Amino acid sequence: MRKRNLISAVVLIAIGISYFVLSVQLPTRNIENATGPSFFPLVTVTGFLVLAAALLFQAIRGRASLGSVPTLAKISRATYGWAFAAAVLYLVALPSLGFIAANIPLFAALMVLYGEKRPVWVAAGSIGISVAVFFVFREMFQIQLPAGILGGLV
Amino acid sequence: MNPDIIDGFTQASMASTLAATAVGCLLGLVVGMIPGLTISTGIIIVLPLTFVLPPDISIALLLGLYVSGMTGGSFSAILLNIPGTPSASATALDGYPMAARGDAGHALGLAITASFIGGLFSFLCLFLIAPLLAELALKFQSPDLFSLVFFGLTIICSFAARSLIKGLLSALIGLMILTIGQDPMMGTARFTFGQVNLIAGVHFLTALIGLFAIPQLVDNLSAIIRDGQGQASTARIRRIVPSLADLKSLRVPVAIGAPIGAFLGILPGAGGPIAAFISYDYAKKLSATPERFGNGAPEGIAAPEAANNAVTGGALIPMMTLGIPGDPVTAILIGALLVHGLAPGPLLFLERGDFAYGIIFSFFWANIFNVIIAFLGLRVLVKVLAMPKSLLMPIIAILCVIGSYALRNNFFDVYVMFGFGLLGLAMRWLDMPVVPLLLALVLGRPLEEHLRVSLVASKGEIDIFFTSPFSLFFLVMAAASIFWSLYAERRSKKAAGNGMESEQ
Repeated sequence: MRKRNLISAVVLIAIGISYFVLSVQLPTRNIENATGPSFFPLVTVTGFLVLAAALLFQAIRGRASLGSVPTLAKISRATYGWAFAAAVLYLVALPSLGFIAANIPLFAALMVLYGEKRPVWVAAGSIGISVAVFFVFREMFQIQLPAGILGGLV
Repeated sequence: MNPDIIDGFTQASMASTLAATAVGCLLGLVVGMIPGLTISTGIIIVLPLTFVLPPDISIALLLGLYVSGMTGGSFSAILLNIPGTPSASATALDGYPMAARGDAGHALGLAITASFIGGLFSFLCLFLIAPLLAELALKFQSPDLFSLVFFGLTIICSFAARSLIKGLLSALIGLMILTIGQDPMMGTARFTFGQVNLIAGVHFLTALIGLFAIPQLVDNLSAIIRDGQGQASTARIRRIVPSLADLKSLRVPVAIGAPIGAFLGILPGAGGPIAAFISYDYAKKLSATPERFGNGAPEGIAAPEAANNAVTGGALIPMMTLGIPGDPVTAILIGALLVHGLAPGPLLFLERGDFAYGIIFSFFWANIFNVIIAFLGLRVLVKVLAMPKSLLMPIIAILCVIGSYALRNNFFDVYVMFGFGLLGLAMRWLDMPVVPLLLALVLGRPLEEHLRVSLVASKGEIDIFFTSPFSLFFLVMAAASIFWSLYAERRSKKAAGNGMESEQ
């Protein structure tokens, strides 16, 4: 935990400094007795930097927070990497493919990831549920989800 | 009688509102009993559906889900020894041993009954206290409101954090995120980097979906890798409805659990799990036969169940009267109300008294439907426990995407949701609680507005926060809350250090 605290304190201080610089650069308006747009961000970031420095100090002195924490369980880095890449791909493709076409492969990939091994179930689940959810939201709840490349069909 | 009370009751008792409450209860029982799905996640999943519904129906649906989610959590705690929600953890201590010796139906019946009584007690608290508190809160000026919101933030941080520094840092991250978008006083764009989608700021619900749902999807994946698809209950459910003797035996534990739950519900940050464990502890201490606790004592089920359902009404009190959420669920409810253009707070009772009482009576109906649906549908509902995660988790994932998109019909919000999901994972890795961040997103805007309005009124003098008795009171409470959590953290570290030494 100490190493994580050290990393997080350094990262947070870097974020705080960047935010501080951006806050100082915010446009100002000279209105009598009124606080400007940068006032609240500067107050916030001051507290943030003080606390981040305190966390750094704690980490250097070797004081961990209460006990060690079971954080993210053992998922391999490769799984994380693939999941992240798939999520980014999905997000990039979503506007052009539309909800049905993008959700089917996402749903199928997630079913496999969560342990479903039967191909027929994966195919039926991903197609059936993606299509059903699309129509439930569009027809019942009047939420216009873009159909994308399937726009002519649905 | 106050005409708003009658209007509120009528509004909450309309067929469409009652139907929404019943549907919410049904969903709540299902969500609550599925280990790995929290009530917050359940509400997040349902939220997009509520955007197109009228506000009274939306809130009735969400309240049903909130109330029944608490009860549903006890089902898996009793049948599988896996609490469906953190609030049901204490119930498992005696519920599972009872189920293991063949009394599953009896244990479930006691849990449902105690939840019902706890819920009704908290309804009474809500009905009686909320209007009075709202009336008092109407006297608050900007400095008082700033100090109140500040107090709300500090108490939440101290409860939510294992490390006070990290809790406060989390809250400050929330406040920094909140400054993205237009300055509330002058309309100047801040930290938008020329991105039009950021001018209105980060939508609270988008952040919420990412912060809660994505880490939960990862948690469930890790649980599957570790434990497989989970287990189905083998317990046989026989008699569910408690006998007269059972009801008599519930009197003391319910009388302990309900007030503790309602009181702790009012305190921001305390929440169901703490209330349930404190009630369990008191019920055990006051029992003539404390040795039965942990081995299937009915009182060990009744006290925590009465407490965790009483928390719900308690948590609605600060939410409705002060706009301060008591827990993540009430924070989401505030977000849901804001989507409909309604801001919870003292003005809600003044300007939309009918709606405020409508919420209170919907809460009442939610408790009624909860007990009815739980008793009648229990045998069918528990079959949900066998639903494979391989189907459930992908559904949650796509509902999160649709929910983010549907807020403003904008893909940008989907990207923001994903970004918050990564932030939630990073914070989990760093042992930094996300709840203070979430609550800062709710409370940050009024915090900034009241701070700046007060400073304008006082011409920049900060004395204004110390001259008003209300403001001074809240600031003293905020200081006490910080010092208390520092003391508690220090004491726990000392105890942990002693424990490690003795182990060596």
